Amino acid sequence: MTGPVGHARTQRPALAHLFWWFMFAQGGVIAAVLIPVHILVQGILGPLKVVPVADRHYDTWVTLLGNPIVKLYLLVLIAVPFFHFAHRLRYLLVDMGVGAAKSVPAQAVFYGGAVAVTAITIWVLLTTVPLSLG
Amino acid sequence: MSAGEAPVQTATRTYRPSMGMGWWLRKGHYFWYVVREFTALPLALWLLWFLVEIKRAGGGAAGYSPHGSTAFVVFSAVCLLFALYHSITFLSLAGVIIHVKVLERPVSSRLIVASQFGLWAVASIVIGAVLIGFGR
Repeated sequence: MTGPVGHARTQRPALAHLFWWFMFAQGGVIAAVLIPVHILVQGILGPLKVVPVADRHYDTWVTLLGNPIVKLYLLVLIAVPFFHFAHRLRYLLVDMGVGAAKSVPAQAVFYGGAVAVTAITIWVLLTTVPLSLG
Repeated sequence: MSAGEAPVQTATRTYRPSMGMGWWLRKGHYFWYVVREFTALPLALWLLWFLVEIKRAGGGAAGYSPHGSTAFVVFSAVCLLFALYHSITFLSLAGVIIHVKVLERPVSSRLIVASQFGLWAVASIVIGAVLIGFGR
């Protein structure tokens, strides 16, 4: 393709945009589909003793936390929605008149925060209970 | 231009629209839009609590006591309202965002939205059953 001044222009896919929008969308889906039941069961019904819940029995909870599939599930459940939250909260500030939320440092804080939560979640999941295939 | 003439103003002034802080309270649609965006905050707080709860399990059986206070239940109930609002508004958008064709015919947006709500129901039942089943 030739540009207006005769230089060859290459069409490069906006991979960074692709990544952040993908994470925003997936975070929204995971938050919508998975989080309500966790809050209902672990945050309300369990503490009120309406139903027995796995995280209220130490041995069962630790056994579950050692399972690699559970670790992977918890990583997705906890970390991915933060990429959605980061975008929403940043634009909420923009809508509320906080122009600084558009700046590059603000982007670094919000999206970097999501990356930091991901790293902390991986660290917690790998160090809290050892991996167990049993 | 001679020394006595006033300079001609050639610079254009940029129009900067401004909205007052209370713009989102003027209409119901604006208010619910802001609520939808705000749902991110309580959900983030609840997930961070959950992460702390997972970390606490590493301290051994003696030091582990899952939260059960009234304040925590109230906090969770408030978060659940925001979570449900996020789920309903986000999954309802699927009909606008997702375009699928089956046998060259576009699937209706209502069917796509229904499938998303169906997915939500199935996931909730399965996860709820696992959490409760392992608690017995």
